[in-house]
Amino acid sequence: MDPINPWLDPAEVRRLAERLMKPSAAPMVPVSDAGFDEDFVGFAGVVTSSPAPPEMNENAVAGPPPVRTPDPEPEIPPTVNPIRGPFLERVSRFRDWMRNAFGASGVFLLDREGDVIFDEGGHGKLHLLARSLASAARRPGAPSGNVHVKVGAGATLEVIPVDTAYGCLILGAVVSNPLQPSSIAQVMTSLAKVASPPA
Amino acid sequence: MGKTTVSINLAHAFARAGVKTLLVDADPQGSVGLSLTRQSRLLTGFYDYLEDPGIPMERLIVPTRLETFSLVTCGQASDYEAGGGGMGAHLARVRAFLRGVEARGFDLCLLDTAAGLFGVTGDVIASSDAVMIPQQAEPLGIRSVPKLLEGLNRLRVMNPRLNVLGVCLTMVQQDLAESTEAAHALRKLLPQDMVFQTQIPRDGLFVRASARGLPIGVLEEGYGALAVFDSLRLEIDSKLDPHHPTHRATHAL
Repeated sequence: MDPINPWLDPAEVRRLAERLMKPSAAPMVPVSDAGFDEDFVGFAGVVTSSPAPPEMNENAVAGPPPVRTPDPEPEIPPTVNPIRGPFLERVSRFRDWMRNAFGASGVFLLDREGDVIFDEGGHGKLHLLARSLASAARRPGAPSGNVHVKVGAGATLEVIPVDTAYGCLILGAVVSNPLQPSSIAQVMTSLAKVASPPA
Repeated sequence: MGKTTVSINLAHAFARAGVKTLLVDADPQGSVGLSLTRQSRLLTGFYDYLEDPGIPMERLIVPTRLETFSLVTCGQASDYEAGGGGMGAHLARVRAFLRGVEARGFDLCLLDTAAGLFGVTGDVIASSDAVMIPQQAEPLGIRSVPKLLEGLNRLRVMNPRLNVLGVCLTMVQQDLAESTEAAHALRKLLPQDMVFQTQIPRDGLFVRASARGLPIGVLEEGYGALAVFDSLRLEIDSKLDPHHPTHRATHAL
């Protein structure tokens, strides 16, 4: 009697094994310098935003109010395509959604150590910046908040730490204007879904 | 004989070949230390380092009579029996440890982890360059391979550079049909490159070596086993990235 095969699905095992043997599609971009993009024009103000109403922030924080942009909310699809697939495919769909919904010209994903999980656009110079901003904005015991910084004429880097089933992931996205709190909340929810293991 | 025996003897084989090797006991049961040093429980070790950022790495590294071979024991941290909490709890400390190892000029850091893919073991694999899976040649263990592959696929999301070196069959008993059949079935099941050609036979010599606190290759009659682990070392060498300054390899399962 075959001691192994009746207990498992050989085709599934082979699929899992072959996937492990393939080099990961995630590019490993070395982060060796803190250089910003050539268009970097300085910090426009680092703001942590949350889905809380703006009045609450103004009452709670002394000093000048945080920088906010009056741009209207873009019309965005309700969620990322729910069809599941390999992780990187799901992230690619998420990237497409970010592009369509918010005009994001560059999207990358780091783990909390700053190692690159996803970046098809080669935004290596922004990785260290994103990681540093995410660390600086983190408050012990508080939920993750987003941070944005102007990195060029008409270009803002949104840094959004998101707690997922795989730990805290740092999303970086280059957008023309800072995202509204409700958009940030939607991005966080979508990324958490994308980075959840199969049911 | 399982992963700890493979870890000790494989690390010894690399060290004998001139590779500056650090063998780390990342198994809460502390089997590497218990195998090789009588005082291992008194030494500051890997789990102490995870718990206490004030411990310098120099305090952890135990030299051996072989200049290229050093050890880090499991340590005394009081909660190591619990495996140190959930996945991700020690990720930053594990990575700091590995950076420290690299900075000290080791060519290879081999970590013997506890069974499973969660807790500190998960954090170690999520920080390693490569993982090797010692698997006893017996049907029950091999039936659990799908779960292991599934878990490793999940960990590769966190650590895309993880190189899965493959499964190494251990405790193979040529005179026991169930053992050889299980080994054969696993080779048939997985892609050829996923299973090491070298397999580790069940041998009373391993028990004798362990009783004397030595790698098997040090015993006078251990030359046969030495050849087996040298063969395994060469297979691993061919699968590792030759340009990486320090390899952080993990033994899981």
